[in-house]
Amino acid sequence: MGFYKKILNKLDYTLIGAVLLILVMSLFILNSATAHLSTSYLKKQIMWIIISIFVLLAFLRLDYSVITKYTRYLYILNIVLLTSVFFLGTEVKGAQSWIVIPGIGSIQPSEFSKLLLIVTFAHYLVHKQGELTTFRDLIPSFIFVAIPLLLILKQPDLGTALVFIAIMVGMLFVAGANPMLLLGIFGGGSLAAIGYVLGHLKFGWWIPLKTYQLNRILVVFDSSIDPRGAGWNVWQSKIAIGSGGLFGKGLGGGTQSMGQFLPEQWTDFVFAVLAEEMGFIGAGLLLIFFFILIYRGLKIAAVSRDLYGSLIATGIVSMYLFHIIENVGMAMGIMPVTGIPLPFVSYGGSSLLTNMIGLGLLLNIYIRRQKIIF
Amino acid sequence: MVSVTMKKRISFIFLTSALLLGLLVVRTAWIQFVMGKELQAKAIDSRLRNIDVKAKRGIIYDRNGSPLAISVSADSVYAVPSQVRRSNRIDEIVNALSQVLELDKEEVRDKLNKKVAFQWIKRRVSDEKIKQLKELDLPGINFVEENRRYYPKGKLAAHILGFAGIDNQGLNGIELTYDKELRGVSGKIMIEYDAAGREIPNAMHQYIPPVDGHSLYLTIDETIQYIAERELDQVMKIKQAKRGTIIVLDIKTGDILALANRPVFDPNNFADYDQGTWRNIAISDAYEPGSTFKTITAAGAMEENVVKPTDRFYDPGYIKVGKETVKCWRSYRPHGSQSFVEGVQNSCNPVFVTVGLRQGKDRFYKYLEGFGFGQKTGIELPGEATGILVPKSRAKDIDLATMSIGQANAVTPIQLIRAVAAIANDGWLMKPQLVKEIRDYDGKLLKKIEPEPVRQVISKNTSEELRAILETVVSEGTGKNAYLEGYKVAGKTGTAQKILPGGGYSSNEYIASFIGFAPADHPRIAALVIVDSPQGVYYGGQVAAPVFKNVVLDTLRYLEVPPEITGEAKFMEEKIIVPDVKNKKINIVTKELKSLGLKVQVEGQGDKVIIQLPPAGSQVIKGSTTILYTQDENSDQVVVPDLTGRTIKEASIILSELGLEMAPQGSGLAVIQEPQPGSKVDKGTSVRVKFLSPNEEHHEETIGP
Repeated sequence: MGFYKKILNKLDYTLIGAVLLILVMSLFILNSATAHLSTSYLKKQIMWIIISIFVLLAFLRLDYSVITKYTRYLYILNIVLLTSVFFLGTEVKGAQSWIVIPGIGSIQPSEFSKLLLIVTFAHYLVHKQGELTTFRDLIPSFIFVAIPLLLILKQPDLGTALVFIAIMVGMLFVAGANPMLLLGIFGGGSLAAIGYVLGHLKFGWWIPLKTYQLNRILVVFDSSIDPRGAGWNVWQSKIAIGSGGLFGKGLGGGTQSMGQFLPEQWTDFVFAVLAEEMGFIGAGLLLIFFFILIYRGLKIAAVSRDLYGSLIATGIVSMYLFHIIENVGMAMGIMPVTGIPLPFVSYGGSSLLTNMIGLGLLLNIYIRRQKIIF
Repeated sequence: MVSVTMKKRISFIFLTSALLLGLLVVRTAWIQFVMGKELQAKAIDSRLRNIDVKAKRGIIYDRNGSPLAISVSADSVYAVPSQVRRSNRIDEIVNALSQVLELDKEEVRDKLNKKVAFQWIKRRVSDEKIKQLKELDLPGINFVEENRRYYPKGKLAAHILGFAGIDNQGLNGIELTYDKELRGVSGKIMIEYDAAGREIPNAMHQYIPPVDGHSLYLTIDETIQYIAERELDQVMKIKQAKRGTIIVLDIKTGDILALANRPVFDPNNFADYDQGTWRNIAISDAYEPGSTFKTITAAGAMEENVVKPTDRFYDPGYIKVGKETVKCWRSYRPHGSQSFVEGVQNSCNPVFVTVGLRQGKDRFYKYLEGFGFGQKTGIELPGEATGILVPKSRAKDIDLATMSIGQANAVTPIQLIRAVAAIANDGWLMKPQLVKEIRDYDGKLLKKIEPEPVRQVISKNTSEELRAILETVVSEGTGKNAYLEGYKVAGKTGTAQKILPGGGYSSNEYIASFIGFAPADHPRIAALVIVDSPQGVYYGGQVAAPVFKNVVLDTLRYLEVPPEITGEAKFMEEKIIVPDVKNKKINIVTKELKSLGLKVQVEGQGDKVIIQLPPAGSQVIKGSTTILYTQDENSDQVVVPDLTGRTIKEASIILSELGLEMAPQGSGLAVIQEPQPGSKVDKGTSVRVKFLSPNEEHHEETIGP
């Protein structure tokens, strides 16, 4: 226990406090959303929180820079994991993203894949210092990310694929890539994608998306599209949030969520349940806690002892931020419906474990910010 | 160490994050505070292609549980156009629909070509046609049960009930004021097709069943209402009058027992009638009440002790008020010297003008307001008028004089009868009630509406004194035509010149009215009869008093109010208490009754007793006849019983127990009936029964619908 005693006064308690408060809110909401069905959801989630705290503590022992020695293997492991889904995976809701492990339950490799990407890509970028100014310079980086990304698109899991892109852009930016070039490529890419979708709608161009996937994107522009599918979800979610008011209807008092109008209420649309039952106060508090999380994460990126730690922290913050914006934005009808979880809040072990390991990495970088310690 | 450029870039990411998270907060606030209400409302919007499953509208019953407005269900036909089109049988479907439903082919085709998920083809179609269509089994053509409002008694109580529209929404009368209770809560089916008619995989299916509406039990008594309608029809016909109103009120409770107006409409086809007929003139139209209002003048004056019954007055045929002269209605033969009581009997104008002036403006208005004039009575019907009073600040002596004899002020019939009922009710003004109980569709009592006293306007003493005076109006004065055999009646006639639309009084149009209550000593009911513009004789005493008499006499008999004046003394005889023999075998019962010393008369051919007369527990003289009505329970046909000698109430009980309807005519005891006793008829058949008073001559007249 000597190690933990030593780091006790070096931990970032603001960050830890914010995450603990988010976890407490998540348990209240999960209980409220599932109590009428079964208590097993709550029990399982508490179990996952305990497990992931131990995993986090274990990760603190290991100096993050040790990872650099194994990044090559970790990259391969990432590819293997993502490929294994096609052989061992089970299809859930149209996507082959889950692997069932007897006795433990099902895990979602694409969740862990995000972390593997961050630690390997960070190492890759450390070696590319000062070589990220031209388009040609960037091509190897794109290929580095594209291989796991395409495997994820194949599942298909559009949401996680977008998280990959967000992580890549954030890390490239901090690693010193030419900002105008990044803006040109990703801004231009987004515009081109929108143009292509419009072309599909107008002229019937071929598009690598199924109708339901396309509708999930289009619903941002017109919520009357697909009223029985994605439109229904967003619509019911907005009604839930809108009926919350300032103080909310109280825990367990959400008519939208209790009436089971709201689908995926404890995973993808958990924010709507929270906003309905805890009102603007609850939703605002959660967003403030998230803000603290992001702020402290970036602070850690800035105070890191080396570039590697700084890039890992940037990658993790980018991951959190994109998850938050996308999940909350989707519940309010300003982002496409992609079904990625809200960090630390949505029900699910893989997601929680991933986010807690991410937190562990941040703390790991923080406690080693002054070289001398150990 | 991290370079300065990198720190700048990290700060840039921080600012971007703060901006994005801030946007989320703003968006949350926008949804919760700006869109909140609208979103709630839109939750039930048709966006989700829900079909409403209409709740069954609650039933409206009379006070005894006889239905006055019910919901009958009928099937409606709708199409899912995309299914029709996909079947490639559209021509065949168009032909079949237009043929069976008698619709235009092009119209049907247009409907089926619409780009909608759901399209009505025809609503409320007869069972026979539905059966034909169902046999054809057309793709994309479906059926749904819908409810339609039906008023089984037709025009009876039309102005109280009002009517409901095609979507079962209350539009007038009680249907409107109690729409919320009657309507129920619609259920929903979320249709499983989207706008384009495609089935959506894993679509949510929700069925929320409707909650049927509550039932109302009115204060109206169907039989009394029938009596009022019948008498009103008769006087309208004989006097060729323009309009007419009868209201019957329970004095103690303020319950409206009957309220009828002419012209009238049939709520089943309300749209076919002129909108003017929908108007409930008993509550919506104010008129100058004329002499009937003198009861109010007298009540105030006696309460304030400005006049005693024995005070003497002299009528020279007119009275001077300042510069103006108010004539007596009998100025051609002045009443001369008379007491106050005689003045009321004679309805003498100079007497009331004198009394009104003695009372003075302040005290006069105190009673106007006390009796509720110039204010709504709070009756639960739409469109109640307040009436118009001469503003107190502007009232001069001549106004006070004309108001005292019922001119210058306009009052509604409901205000007037309520005020007179207060005189009879020991001075207590009651709120007029129309609804007694609200029950849910299971019959569970939800709300009982209790009588609502408003205030005591005059003392019990004054009430009793004035009742005695008003009784003499009927026994000796202008109201003789309202005299009832066996009952003491108090009342007052009224004959008012109609006010022309441009102002001033009409020279040839009058409103004849009679207001009164009975029995005078222990008042039970008050009634007001107003006949607008009768042809020929137009005096209230001639036109309205006989109608009042018929209505009140029949009502008192129906209510089994014991006559107060008995002609001959009954001598003592041996009394037997009739046992309960209902639902027992006829042969056993016959033996039992005969052994008690009663004669037995059996009606019908069944073997079980349905009704017995006199009822169980009554005391009868030995040797009198008990009548047992029987019925074969398995048959839809019943044998018409012999009703000779029965009262209206008895006849109505017997017929309703047997499942027959009664159309009574006249009053008194039954003498003639159609169909004849012993004939077999279907249940629900209406039996016309003619009643005559025992001491009335048997003369032919046609009455009623």
